[in-house]
Amino acid sequence: MAMRVKTMRKWVGQRQSLGLLLSCVVFGCAGSARAEDANSWKDIETKYIFGFTTGSGIGLEGEKEFTVDSIGRFGKRDGHYAATETKYEFEFTPTQFIQIEFGALGSTHNIGGVADLDDRSQVALSGAFAEFRYLAIERTSSNPLAVTLAVEPTVRRIDETSGERVRNFEFETTINADLELMRNRLYAGFNLLYEPEVTRTAMGDTLREANFGGSAALSLRIASNIVVGGEVWYLRHYDSIGLSEFTGDAVMLGPTLYIAFTPKMFMTAAWNTQVWGREIGNPVSLNLAEFQRNRARLKFAVEF
Amino acid sequence: MLITMRKLTLVAICAIAMLPLSPSQAQQATEVQVSYSNGQFQPSELRAPADKPIAVRVKNLDAKAMEFESKSLRVEKVVAAKSEGVINVRALKPGRYEFYDDFNEKARGALVVQ
Repeated sequence: MAMRVKTMRKWVGQRQSLGLLLSCVVFGCAGSARAEDANSWKDIETKYIFGFTTGSGIGLEGEKEFTVDSIGRFGKRDGHYAATETKYEFEFTPTQFIQIEFGALGSTHNIGGVADLDDRSQVALSGAFAEFRYLAIERTSSNPLAVTLAVEPTVRRIDETSGERVRNFEFETTINADLELMRNRLYAGFNLLYEPEVTRTAMGDTLREANFGGSAALSLRIASNIVVGGEVWYLRHYDSIGLSEFTGDAVMLGPTLYIAFTPKMFMTAAWNTQVWGREIGNPVSLNLAEFQRNRARLKFAVEF
Repeated sequence: MLITMRKLTLVAICAIAMLPLSPSQAQQATEVQVSYSNGQFQPSELRAPADKPIAVRVKNLDAKAMEFESKSLRVEKVVAAKSEGVINVRALKPGRYEFYDDFNEKARGALVVQ
């Protein structure tokens, strides 16, 4: 067990070092890009520039996009824990106000020696989702604020955290807002999240829970095709969908990166580490019962 | 509870379906024209009234296709060589809305709404 914990720490440490190295490279690029005139840059789609925080962008009318969006969660209190969920997503924008997305979910779980979770190593097709986004407030040259409302129903046959066979129904509701602080250069993003879910386990039990929280992000466009930044999330977990049975909360913090390889192809990456957390009734630092120590996002998209 | 969640999803989808998808549909559009030749928009600045839907007619006089695109207008359309296309835009608030040819970085223009 001690060996596994040591290996896990080393593994997480290597990833943090990789993140730092990547940040240095990107910020190094910023120096050479500083002289560029941001006014000559094209407007940027803000949806993906804030990491886990989603911007208000909904794309262009008639635009279609295929996306592979992976989120990995790493680290629990003990043992080794690594789980990923990948969205294979098709999205399109039928009007100048609406964006629709849908797709399949794939998951992987590599769990060993974690309290309350069975050891597991598996890859599975885990569910499906759809997302509906409505642009409620649009940015203009005289109004820097844009706001989009989004709902995302999801069904899963594999539990996100444990990897067990379940019947899970989630209904994520978000408000995605962003502000253009400096023309074509500096953006602030804000999300408000309410994510109720119901899970029927293989044993026939029905579990109800919800996450509620928000985020703030700041992103700087250092070149016409590169945006770097940071974000902070505050998340609360409840053992009810009505937000009445509070069980713990956490603060996650980390860097974000967006690179457009071509006008129609881009990637976004983000890393969040839990810097503060509490579990109600358990006087330990961090909340690793309901949240993970680290999470990472890597997304590739092609528009057509 | 699962049934309640499904109902919630249906209600949300119906609510979104009832949102104003394109508020410009009910009004007569103001047409503005722009030509594209030698890799440039002519004129490079268009003017249109605020709060009225706009139809942008793009005449591509060049021998190769171009893509009229604008993030702020939230439209894109490929216009074949030696042909024209019409892009319908919602009623806009006053402001400056930039557009460009996505196949040619240097071709830029703007729609000024007053």
